[in-house]
Formats: sequence, structure tokens, C-alpha cells
Amino acid sequence: MSSEDAASWTLAWRLARRELRSGVRGFRVFLACLTVGVAAIAAVGSTSSGLTASLGNDAREILGGDVAVRLVQRPAQQSEQRHLGTTGRLSGSAEMRAMVQSDAVGPNGARSLVELKAVDDAYPLYGALETEPRLSRQDLFGRRGELSGVAVAPQLVDRLGVSVGDILRVGDGRFEIRAILAHEPDRLAGSGIFSLGPRVMIAKSALAETGLEQPGSLIYYTYRVALPDSVDPEDWIADLNTEFPDAGWRIRRLDEAAPQIRRLVQRVGLFLTFVGLTALLVGGVGVANAVSAYLDGKTAVIATLKCLGAPARLIVRIYLLQILTLAGVGIIAGLVLGVLTPFAASGVIAAFLPVPVSTGIYPGALLIAALFGSLTALSFGLWPVARAAQIPAGSLFRNLVAPVRARPPAVYVAITAVGLVALAALAVVTADDTGLALWFVGGAAAAMATFRIVAALIAIAARRVGNLRQPAVRLAVAALHRPGTPTPSVVLALGLGLSVLVTIAQVDGNLSRQIREELPTGAPAFFFIDLQPNQIAPFEALLADIDGVEKTVQVPMLRGRITSIAGVAAETATIDPNSRWAIRGDRGVTWSEAAPENSPVVEGEWWQAHYDGPQLVSLDADVAAGFGVGIGDTLTVNVLGREFTATIANLRHIDWQTLSINFVMIFSPGFLEAAPRSHIAIVHADPAAEAEIERGVTNAFRNVSAVRVRDALETVNGIVTGIGTAVRLAALVALVAGTLVLAGAIAASHRRRVYDSVVLKVLGATRRNVMTIFVLEYGLLGLVTASLAAIVGSIAAWAVLRFLMNIDWVLMPQTVALTVIGATVIILAIGVVGTWHTLGQKTAPLLRND
Amino acid sequence: MMDLPDPQQSQRPDGATAAKPIVELSDVHLHLASAGGKVNILRGLDLSVNAGETIGVVGPSGSGKSTMMMVIAGLERPTSGTVRVAGSELATLNEDALALFRRRSVGIVFQAFHLVPTMSAVENVAVPLEFARIDDAFERARASLETVGLGDRLTHYPSQLSGGEQQRVAIARAFATEPNLLLADEPTGNLDGDTGTQVIDILFERAARFGTTLLLITHDRGLAQRCSRVVQLRDGRIVDHGNTPP
Ligand SMILES: Nc1ncnc2c1ncn2[C@@H]1O[C@H](COP(=O)(O)OP(=O)(O)OP(=O)(O)O)[C@@H](O)[C@H]1O
Ligand SMILES: [Mg+2]
Repeated sequence: MSSEDAASWTLAWRLARRELRSGVRGFRVFLACLTVGVAAIAAVGSTSSGLTASLGNDAREILGGDVAVRLVQRPAQQSEQRHLGTTGRLSGSAEMRAMVQSDAVGPNGARSLVELKAVDDAYPLYGALETEPRLSRQDLFGRRGELSGVAVAPQLVDRLGVSVGDILRVGDGRFEIRAILAHEPDRLAGSGIFSLGPRVMIAKSALAETGLEQPGSLIYYTYRVALPDSVDPEDWIADLNTEFPDAGWRIRRLDEAAPQIRRLVQRVGLFLTFVGLTALLVGGVGVANAVSAYLDGKTAVIATLKCLGAPARLIVRIYLLQILTLAGVGIIAGLVLGVLTPFAASGVIAAFLPVPVSTGIYPGALLIAALFGSLTALSFGLWPVARAAQIPAGSLFRNLVAPVRARPPAVYVAITAVGLVALAALAVVTADDTGLALWFVGGAAAAMATFRIVAALIAIAARRVGNLRQPAVRLAVAALHRPGTPTPSVVLALGLGLSVLVTIAQVDGNLSRQIREELPTGAPAFFFIDLQPNQIAPFEALLADIDGVEKTVQVPMLRGRITSIAGVAAETATIDPNSRWAIRGDRGVTWSEAAPENSPVVEGEWWQAHYDGPQLVSLDADVAAGFGVGIGDTLTVNVLGREFTATIANLRHIDWQTLSINFVMIFSPGFLEAAPRSHIAIVHADPAAEAEIERGVTNAFRNVSAVRVRDALETVNGIVTGIGTAVRLAALVALVAGTLVLAGAIAASHRRRVYDSVVLKVLGATRRNVMTIFVLEYGLLGLVTASLAAIVGSIAAWAVLRFLMNIDWVLMPQTVALTVIGATVIILAIGVVGTWHTLGQKTAPLLRND
Repeated sequence: MMDLPDPQQSQRPDGATAAKPIVELSDVHLHLASAGGKVNILRGLDLSVNAGETIGVVGPSGSGKSTMMMVIAGLERPTSGTVRVAGSELATLNEDALALFRRRSVGIVFQAFHLVPTMSAVENVAVPLEFARIDDAFERARASLETVGLGDRLTHYPSQLSGGEQQRVAIARAFATEPNLLLADEPTGNLDGDTGTQVIDILFERAARFGTTLLLITHDRGLAQRCSRVVQLRDGRIVDHGNTPP
């Protein structure tokens, strides 16, 4: 910067300050827009940083060690256990689902599905297990008389009406309740938030007493290791992998302590950030409107300064500095709100996420929010400023200084473009999911372009209409295309605002639909897990005798982990984020001779009956697409420590929403049969028979766990409800931003038209005449814009649900109609009231000179 | 006040080049394309004004008086013809250079005053001095306001001043940079008779003191007669150059 240039900035600042001194009356909407947008982004950023920080700070406790190694259906072998224990302290546990019942009640008494955890003496390696009363480990779990001890979660106490000292049946064994669980440090690492029942904890040495440890039972064996500081966990893991390349275990590091929650936080955080950004974008339109309106009032001043020898560049600087100063105020206010939000939000979050929010100031999140705010103010504020600087000074000679509506000089157009690109880039760079962020940016740009084009089309159409007989209609139509018409800004602001509302209304509607809908039609009543092969026949016989059982399907199930895809190790393979879940943990696998009924083959052929050639596998078509593999490629799966490589023979379409038994992978017969396995059964039944079925099966087969689909869905719904709360909060933000901008746009256009209406009044128009023109003009604009917003918003809702939340989208015409009509009517009402008020004012002051 | 960065110092009437024209318009045409077709606003305008002259510009409404002033101030570019003002050929200057030219050489007074409403009287007068990077801008502005009799109204805002007072501030502002040329477009049009006379007295007094060339548009014949020469416009042409002094 030359010294001349620097001096010019100093001078510009001096003059800017002089103007700012006279107050910020015209900037209320401007400030509010920026504050709301920045606050939303800062709040979401701070809250998710707070959650992530909690997960990070407590990662050791949450994971239960520095590294956790998990096996399914089989414990670690002697050699493996020895190796795991050599470098650090080792703690092993087993987790599974089980049925428990109070020993005091008979075979008809209440029972509950629980999450059973059997721990060794070393547990926990980090943090403390807290119980009420506090007991030594021996007193808690050890044998007293002939019974071992058990600790249970408070929910079980409520559910079964048991208390400390009572005897609880866990599977086949009887245990004495010694304490109530108060805090389990690694609660989140296991089933995480999707637990199907209350926690019940026993000693690992007592697991045998339950009789639940059957071959092929769905038991997760976790080995947690506390490493000395001198050992790098990565080295340790590398060593473990070389030593036991085919163990098939899942190794988790500290940064994967609570992956489900982390992902949930990221997803919801991303969605809320997008809403915040949209609010900011809508706010940007408000910023542009507010700046335009402010500068419209400054045209004479600008022309005067130019007459006094100020070059256009100086004018741009004077007003840009004013706007950036005010933007600074708005941004700081937004940041303050953003910092305070996590404190307020932690209560709400605690209701559905078992993670504390580490409240505090997160400079990173605040910096990002501030950057978003500044870029928005610059990108949307510079344009009108640069345009205003084009006001010809000579117009002062004519005493008629009209706002300029031309395109600003190329250099400012370029800066604006750079600002917008930077805004988009920032959105993409700061998002956890680049792909989604790109879609968001593209979608937002497309939406803005659409509304801008529609605004132009409305103006063109209005011009084309020609002479209309009805004077009110003629004036209204003329107002849509005259020079300086607010049509573009109203359409843009109204359009974007309504689109956000429609999007959120539909996302919210679809979420509640998921919760409301009792059970998907055709959903089973029960899943029974851990059926032993020799229990199948008696199980089916038992169900055949119960009235109300409609259908029973059972299949063998093993758990397997995909270890390589088309010859590439799964960890290093390129996989679409939407299909990553398939390699994350263990998946159920089965084999079958016949094609399944409920998932049609969409590509390739099912193997012939009595097939006994090389091993083939049938894969879910979506997963195949995500993996980038097709028929003829190979897939390697580790089942119980053995690797099975199969060639993909066909692809199936699976509808996961049906809740029937679905396997991502079905193998050809002849290979997996030898492995120890259990069966999974689904039972369709009349709801009235559910209690009897649960009782009958679990009394007869103590090792079998009954998962009531209704209860399982409720757990999921609890989380969905939490997300719904977040979405509704976001709706509030969008609503505030949208309303602000619309109010701003209408107010700005108001000022422009008050003079017109006053002149009309002088010429003899009644208030009603003027009003009719207004209602017609905005009614017309509202109708076109709202219809378009309904479409744009529906597309956005579909995208959010489909790609961000993995939920099916159903168009909700009433919700959409109600949203757009409601919003339009409210806006019209605000406009009418405002106009009526201004029309009531005295005519004279406005007509007097200056 | 002599440290003003003014290259035209030597053209003062007291200097050797006193008789050299400060404004020279020759065959100036201005066409504007408007919705109703092409409008010819100036049609071959010739005008020569010597430094130190006071010119009264008269003519019927719509004859192009204001437009001519805009051309002289470099606020409007003619379609053809040459415009020389204070030694500069305006057609050769770009927008920034024109701004600089106005800042140095031209002061303008409007019918509607056009003070900046968010600035006090003294700030309004200081603005052009600030643009010219003059260090003691405020002292000069204060002094300038005192000479128009507003020494006690320095911190008042335009809305707190009467029309006549506002116009006096505008005059102080126009003279603040001691321009060679002062353009005034009906400066008394918004003022009552007495106040108008008072303002015009100040205008002439200032022009005489600084030796400023004055171009004064007015509908008031009597007022025009106070000038050393009266120029008459009709249909975008000068129809009477007045009695050009030797
Ligand atoms: N932007 C424009 N477009 C079209 N015509 C214009 C424009 N500006 C000025 N004119 C026309 O140019 C002519 C001269 O206008 P100008 O303002 O110079 O007249 P004037 O002599 O100052 O009149 P008055 O005494 O009423 O102020 C008028 O006929 C006016 O209509
Ligand atoms: Mg005029």
C-alpha cells in the first residue's frame, strides 16, 4: 500500500467515524442479521467443540484403556491374551444381551432384556466404577454363600421392582444384587447410545454360571490395554498386527473412543452449521438490502463529497469502513451469544446424549464464525457500496439525486466474487464432510441463482403485461418492474427464507413421522438371538402352540468383519462415506442355498440349487457401489479368526426399513457351516400375544435373548427426538433470520414507496386504494416466490434427510402448504400493518423540501 | 494560506498572466440518449472567461445553464468540443484526475446547499481541505466560517441552521480551498430576498478578496447586473456574450 493510499484510508476512516456518530438507526436489521447468523455458527461450533472436547478429554476413560481390542463370538486365545498382556496392564470383559428376572417371581413374572457385562479384577483400567453402596470388588461381585454378586443399573430397579439384597436370575444363574450402578466409566464405548436395555454387571469369573456362553453366542470380548507412556500405541498396534494378522479383531484407538456419538455429534453439528450458514446467507441478503437502503439515503451526501473532489475510491472506502465497523459490532455480539449458548445447551443435550458438554471458549470455532460473518458483510455489503459510489456528482445540479442501479465497476465485482468464493471455500474447508459441504454450497448457490432469475422473469413478465384496465392492478404490476423496484431483493429474501422454513418443516416432519409411526407395517414383533442349533426344533414347536404367532423365520448367523475388498485391505480401500458403516464393525453373515424372499437380486444370478463350487457371496447393491466393486470381485471376511475369501456372484437390493432379517453378505453353502454359530429368529405376531411369546421362549431357553422391536425402536426414537429438538432450535434461528430480512426488505421498499403513496394520496387516492396496490404487489410476489420456495425447500429437505441423516423422505404437502401460505400471510400482514401506519402519517412533512 | 498546493497561483489577476482565459469552451456539444430519443442539450457552445471576471449566466429554464456548469466542473463530459479550465484540457483527465482538478481549482455552490447532514458546520467546511491533505484543515475552516459571520455556529449541524446560514456555510466550504473558479447555480433560489442579498454580498466579497473567477447562474436580472459581464443562453448556445472587456 502506497503512503498515498494509506493516507486515503485514514481520511476515509475519519469521515466514516463522523457519519457513524449520528447513530445506527438504519442498521438494526443489518446488525441483527449478522448477529443471528454468526451466533448460530459460533454456538453450533462451540457446542460441538465442547462435546468433542469432552469425548477427547475423557477418551481414556471412555475407551477404558489406551487401546481396545474387540472380538466377537470367541474369546482371545491363550497365546493372544498372553501377548496382549505383555506390554501393559490388561483388562478383559465380555458383553452380551441377556434376559433377567427377579427370582422372587414365578415363570409368569416380569423379565427384562439387559446389556450384560462381565468384568475382570483389573477393570476399570482408567476411571472408577462407582456403585451405591460403595463396595470392595470382592463384596460387589464375589461369592457369598453360594451366590455371586451383581450390580444393576437404576433403570432395572424401576423396571423389575428389585432392590439390593434381592436375587436376580441372569440366564441360568442366580445372582445377589449387591449394589446399584452409579457410574460406569466406559459406558459409551460399548453399545454406546443404542443400548437395548439396562446395564447389569457381574464378574467375568461368574459368567459361566449364567450358561450364556454358548458356542456362537453373540458375545463381544473386549481386551483393554493400558500402555506405559514410553510405548507408542501405534507401534503397539503394528506389532500386534504382525503377530496375529488373522485374528479378525477390531482395534480401537483413543480417537475412536465413542465413535457413534462422535459421528452423531458431527452429523447433527454439520446440519446445524448448514442451517447457520443459510441463516447467514439469508442475512447476507438482509445486509445487502440494509446497506442499499442506507446508501439510498446518502446519495446527496455522496454526490456532494464527489463535487468537493472525492474520487469514487474514497467514497467506497468511507462507506465500506462504516459497514465493516458495524459488522464488527454485529459479529462480536454474535460471538458472545455463541459462547454463551453451550452453557444453556448443555442441559438440553444432557437429556439425550450421555456426554457432558465441556463449556468454555473455543477460539477455533469463534474464529470460523467471525470469518463467516466478515466475509458475508464484505461480499454482500461491498456491492451496494461500490454501486453508490457511481452516483454522478452532477445530479446535484438537478436537485434530484436518484440511487444508482447500475453494476459496480469490474474491480468491485471481482472482489465480491472473491469474497463469495472464499465464503464457499470456508464452508467446505471447515466442514467434517467435504462432499456434503460441496453439495450444500452448490445447492445454496443454485437456490440463490434460481430466485434471482425468477425475480428477473417476474420483472420482464410485468413489463410485458402491458396496459391493464384496473388502475390498482396496473399500478401494482408497474411497481414490479419500475427502475429501483425491490422485486429482486424481496424475491431473494422471501425465497431463501421460505425455502429454509420449508426444508426445516419437512425435516422435522419426517423425523416426527419416524417417531410417531408405531411400527413399520410388516415389522416383526421380536428378534430372538443366540438360539443354539439344537434349540431350533423345540423353539418352533413352542411357538406353534401359541395363539397369535403369525410367522417365524430363523436363520443361522455368524459375525464377520470385512477385511479386504477386491484384494485391498479394508482400512486402505477407497470407500464412499455412506458405505463406511459396512466395514466399521462386525456384520452378521449367513449362508443360504435359496435366494432370500425379501431382498431381490438386482444384478447377476443366484447360485443354483445344490451349488458346491468355490465360495460365492451375494452383496448388498448399495454397499457394492460404495465399495466400488461388482460381480467377479472378491471379498474377504474374517469369521471367528478365520479368513474366508469369496467371489461376488450377485447383488441384492435390501430395504432396511422393513426390519426383517437382512444380511449385507450371504455366502454360498458349504463353508461357514463348520463354524460354531447361533441362530437368529424373527417372529411376527399379534401384539396381544407378545407377552406370552416372550415368557414362553425365555422360560424355555434361558440363554436366548428376546429383543422387542417396539422397545428397540423406542431407543432409536429417543435419539431421533433429540435430533428433532436440535432441528427445531435451528428452525427458530432460520425463522428469526428470515423474518428479519423480510421485515428489512419490506421496510426498505417501504421507505422508497412512502413518497409514491403520499403523492398518490395527494392526487386523491384513499388509504384503501394505496393499500390494495400494496397487497396486490406483494401478493403477486409472494405467490410466485412461495411456490418456488416450496419446491426448493422440498429438494433441500430430501437431500438433508437422504444424505445427512440417512432417513427416508416423504413429501408432506400439507406441511409445505401450511408453511408457505402461513409465512406469506404473516409477511403480508406485517407489510399491511406497516403501510397502513405510514399512510396514516401527515402528508405535508414528506412533501416539504429536504 | 499561501502554502496551498496550487499550481495555478501564477494565474491570479495580480500576476502577469491575468488576461489569460481561465475557462475556454469551444464548440461544445452535448447529446444525451434518453427514452424519448436523442436530446441535444448543448449545441455548439463557445465561452471564454478571463481570470478574475465575474460572469452572470442567464437564460430560460431548460436552456442548458446547469449543464454548462457541469461541463465546466468536469461533472459531465461533452459529446464533442474542447473544454479548458484552469489550464487543464478536461477531456484528457480521467475520473480521478477530474476529482483532483475539482479539489484544487473549482468551488461549487448549489441552490439546495447540499451540506452533509451528519457533519457539523466546521466539519462540512473542512472536508475539501481534508481531501487536499491540509494539516490545519480545521483551523482554516473555522477562520473561513468566521469570515462569513458564523464563528459562533461552528459545531451546529445543518438541521440546526437556517437556510441562509446553511448557504453561508456552503459558500465558506466552496472558498475553503481558495479555488480559481467558483460556480454558483442559483445560490439564492431557496432564500428570501433579504437573506439572498446578504448571501450574494458575501459571495462577491469572497470572490473579490481571493480574486476568484465567479460564474453565477441566476434568474434575477438585477443580481446578474452586479457581475462584470452577463452571458445569455438559449437552446444550448450562447446568444449574448455580454460586453467582453478588452
Ligand atoms: N439526464 C438527462 N437526460 C435527458 N435530458 C436532460 C438530462 N439532463 C438535462 N436534460 C435536459 O437538458 C436541458 C438543459 O437542462 P439544464 O438543467 O441545463 O437547464 P437549465 O438551464 O439549468 O434550466 P433551469 O433554469 O430550469 O435550471 C433540459 O431541457 C433538460 O430537460
Ligand atoms: Mg438549472
